[in-house]
Amino acid sequence: MAQFTRYHKKHRSMMEKISDQRNVKYLLLFVMPAFLFYVVFLLVPILGAFYYSLTDWSPVRPNYNFVGLNNYVRAFTQDPQFINSLLLTLRYTAFVFVLQNVFALGLALMIETRGRSKAFFRTIFFLPNMLSLVISSLMFRFIFTNVFPELSERPFLGFLEQGWLGNPSVAFYSILIVVLWNGVGYMMVIYLAALQGVPQSLIEAAMIDGAGGAKRLFKVTIPMIMPALTICSFLTLIRSFQIFDVVFRLTGGGPGRATQVIAMNIYEEAFSNNFLFGYANAKAMIFFGIILVITLIQTFVMKRLEVES
Amino acid sequence: MRKKTPFSYFILVLLLIFGFIAFFPIYMAIINSFKDQGEIFNSVLAFPTSFRFENYTGALERINILQSALNTLIVTVIGLTGITICSSMAGWKLSRTSGKLSNLFFIFFLSSMLVPFHAIMISITRVATTLSIQDNVIGLGFIYIGLGVNLAIFLYHGFVKSVPRELEESARMDGCGELQIFLRIVFPLLKPITATILILNSLWVWNDFLLPLIMLSNVNNQTLILAINALFGEFHTDWPKVLAALIMVSLPVLIFYIIFQKNIMKGIAEGAIKS
Repeated sequence: MAQFTRYHKKHRSMMEKISDQRNVKYLLLFVMPAFLFYVVFLLVPILGAFYYSLTDWSPVRPNYNFVGLNNYVRAFTQDPQFINSLLLTLRYTAFVFVLQNVFALGLALMIETRGRSKAFFRTIFFLPNMLSLVISSLMFRFIFTNVFPELSERPFLGFLEQGWLGNPSVAFYSILIVVLWNGVGYMMVIYLAALQGVPQSLIEAAMIDGAGGAKRLFKVTIPMIMPALTICSFLTLIRSFQIFDVVFRLTGGGPGRATQVIAMNIYEEAFSNNFLFGYANAKAMIFFGIILVITLIQTFVMKRLEVES
Repeated sequence: MRKKTPFSYFILVLLLIFGFIAFFPIYMAIINSFKDQGEIFNSVLAFPTSFRFENYTGALERINILQSALNTLIVTVIGLTGITICSSMAGWKLSRTSGKLSNLFFIFFLSSMLVPFHAIMISITRVATTLSIQDNVIGLGFIYIGLGVNLAIFLYHGFVKSVPRELEESARMDGCGELQIFLRIVFPLLKPITATILILNSLWVWNDFLLPLIMLSNVNNQTLILAINALFGEFHTDWPKVLAALIMVSLPVLIFYIIFQKNIMKGIAEGAIKS
């Protein structure tokens, strides 16, 4: 019997080897189409971006030279606007990170308490997310420049009289308003799905134990939806850091350069002001590096929180 | 069983206020798209005195909305078809094959999800020029395939694990070729995740702005979002016309939303939870 098993094992491993080779062939065959597109439009561009970040390439000149890390040094030491836009983007990301998640989770929790009107509210809150950011921004340009001035003449609404797009310190919040208006619904849908998964029995048990509303929320519900919290934090971080459309169409980075976020700074450097592709690529690489670090820290922190709860 | 406590009324009022805020900008855009300049000057909040469609016809004269809609459709169809076919094939095989090579491919695709678009924005124009697909609607569709396969492969890869192998294996015993097994047996079983991927990607491609902005320059190649962007650049003081154009361009998306609302929300939740 033992002999048979050994023979069988040997035989099997030979068969497996043959089938492995066949598997490799089919694996390559099936992965190839996706891989080709991926290499051409993602891998080559990212490697290219790194390579060109070490040069002074500009499309308006015929040749380019290798300049080493000069572009990187320049970005950090001789480009105050780049540093400003970096700090602005960080500040913006912090605001959106907190506000978007608080609003989305808050709305989801409130909707969950409703009976028949649940579907109605869900539909309304998600609706803005269907519109593209460009369309949302243009709509709000109209709201900021025409509707709010008129509304501010009504009683109690005087605070709407602001230089929404013209005042450098207010324009930042105008961008926040549009982004939150458009984006909260998306996160809310994720939180709603997570809340569906919280067993009712658990909440009832907590109620019987005499836990009040706030205690139930922080001790039962939130720990149960921790994975959704992780995902939503991740998504808001990544997206806010890359914000472009809203700024481009709402304020154009202005007034002056007061709301020029980092993506806008790179875009201008490359496509509308100087056509310094090499230098813009160096900035893009720095941008990429920061996103990588933030994501890693975020994943690490959230994973620890998940384990603890 | 729901208790009608004062607290529950408080929540209802809050929800209604937030609902009003969510809908108000859209309502403003709609009513003002029917006004003329004089009416807007008098009051933006008032209901229009009559429904004028001049702004709509006027906007239609300015932007070739049919051409842009067609362009957007071409880009979306090419992108979505490519993403679905390439990623389902790759996701299935990667999930079913164990070994170093398979893992390597998978990690390769996965790690690229952290690359922000702005990091490749400049050199992708260079790639497009090299391939002579700059300012080309079909070429833009191909680029979306390249940028979209990583997430889709990831989602297919996860879903395939929950699909039983037996059907495939018995078909293989019967001497079915791998391609046939994939087309006849596997792909139909992947339908739920394919729907999720189609929904997520159609919203992305249809509403995307920056990539078309840097890739397409000819007016005849514009997507809907680009057309709107150009119209605003030209007539930014003629609000009724701009708003009419915004409404027209949003209409297909809103119809899509009304029809597929449940699937869209399910798709977003699933796409998020699986990643």
